Amino acid sequence: MLRLSEQDQARLDGHEGPALRFAMETIVAAAEIDRAAELIDIGFAHIDACFYNGRAHLDFVNYLLDAGATLAVPAWTNNGLVSLEDLSLRDPAKSGAMREAHELMQAYVRLGCRPVWTCAPYQLPGRPALGDHIVGSESNAVCFYNSVIGARSNKYGDYLDVCAAITGRVPASKLHLDAGRVAQILFDVRDIDPELRARDLFYHLLGHLIGLDSGAAVPAIVGLPANCGEDDLKAISAAASSSGSVPLFHAIGITPEAPTLEAAFAGGKPARMIEITPADLKRARDELGRDDRSKQLAGIALGTPHFSLTEFERLVTLLGARHIDPRLTFYLTTSRHVYAEAEVRGWCSALQAAGVRIVTDTCTYFSPAVRGLRGKIMTNSAKWAYYAPGMLPVEAVLGSLRECVESAVRGEVVLDDWGDA
Amino acid sequence: MTRRLLDADVLIAGVASGPALVLDASLSFWGGFDPQQGAIIDVHHPQYRTRVGGTVLFIPASRGSAGTPGGIAEALRNGSGPRAFVLGERDVNIGVGVLVANRIYGLEVPVVRIPAEQMRSIRSGEPVSIDRNGGLSIGA
Repeated sequence: MLRLSEQDQARLDGHEGPALRFAMETIVAAAEIDRAAELIDIGFAHIDACFYNGRAHLDFVNYLLDAGATLAVPAWTNNGLVSLEDLSLRDPAKSGAMREAHELMQAYVRLGCRPVWTCAPYQLPGRPALGDHIVGSESNAVCFYNSVIGARSNKYGDYLDVCAAITGRVPASKLHLDAGRVAQILFDVRDIDPELRARDLFYHLLGHLIGLDSGAAVPAIVGLPANCGEDDLKAISAAASSSGSVPLFHAIGITPEAPTLEAAFAGGKPARMIEITPADLKRARDELGRDDRSKQLAGIALGTPHFSLTEFERLVTLLGARHIDPRLTFYLTTSRHVYAEAEVRGWCSALQAAGVRIVTDTCTYFSPAVRGLRGKIMTNSAKWAYYAPGMLPVEAVLGSLRECVESAVRGEVVLDDWGDA
Repeated sequence: MTRRLLDADVLIAGVASGPALVLDASLSFWGGFDPQQGAIIDVHHPQYRTRVGGTVLFIPASRGSAGTPGGIAEALRNGSGPRAFVLGERDVNIGVGVLVANRIYGLEVPVVRIPAEQMRSIRSGEPVSIDRNGGLSIGA
């Protein structure tokens, strides 16, 4: 049975106006579905509902703005400008929906959101701390916040994210509670060749496999190298929350709530142990995007989730003074913030001069910016490879960042030898 | 099959009837679903290209992207959505999408939940009706 504070109840009864009433009704309905005992305060929200997905999104925010809604906590925006399958949406001149997508983004700025327009808000300064209760929405960001930072968020969807930012309250359920954060199953990668474990693509493939195999359980991973970085953990977060629904994973000895196996499992035993083999990695790679050599490479898509500063650095280093084959379209997506940081170092100009198109605020598998992106596209992102073929007239080839760069320069897919994998 | 009665948990109360569509896997309603057509566009989903409009949709749960409530609300707004949802889990994202659409567009789409083993006894195409208290009637 849900216990409400006096203020929660007053808002629900409409004493603080229609916007807070509607927002609180939505929070309470969610709490009842979640069987939460109470509501708790949050300190931050990442808003996904600014991401256009039809007229309903605009109707929702306009309903709140008309009712006088304001925000109770800092709220940052996810990517904007969704167009889904309708190719006409990709032509701004023709499309009412494109106009509505812009209108939607402006409405969230009017509501008081900070317009960062990124699916990787954790790459910006001012991120939450271990143990903070927050609202994450975009699936990779929820997983990263929970797993890598140790902030606490359930996977909030559209509308509930906004209602939480307006009320500053969420149901005290699942990942907000200690009990919801205990690892239940264990993925063991210790038998994978250390050289493979050092490759960036390994983390995308591992994430994909974890997503497929975790169901609703909290997974832990044993055997990740101690020097794996935030880009690698971002890759796991994005891939595992595309192929599955993984809002939290623990990496033993690496992520903050898992210094040891015992800590991750709260002294208990894994309900299931899954050993990852080279054959599993090969299967994941084939599933996500096996190269059809009869077809010509048409482009490259990097930056899903948004490219980080360290990824920029690696890309600039890998490309060196070489140019992208002019027959290819090479897209890279990032946030305005990271773009500015990269440009301070001269990296954006250098990449653009080499033939890379850098796009901010959005992502290449749904954006109007990718009009014309079709055919065989190579990506370093399991998430892009998972979603794009359903949304764009493309087939994906998955490769490491290095493989993507070599392919871009040569104008054809170049894959490293993976040995047995 | 003969007519069966089930007692579901009510997540969002409403009244609806229509033919069952039983999905064999969970689905993301953003990215895996086109809300303009009400169609499953996740190429990995066993029921790829199936349309959900006008059905009583039996689905284990939603999955993946945070866009699920928006995809559902948009499909309900434009009439390409299901008449009711019968879930295998207490899924907040589906519940919120339906709640917001019901509120903004004056609809009464119910969301109820039944155990997974009961879900397996339902066949696509069977007529289903749902009452405000979560009473499900299945079969002719």
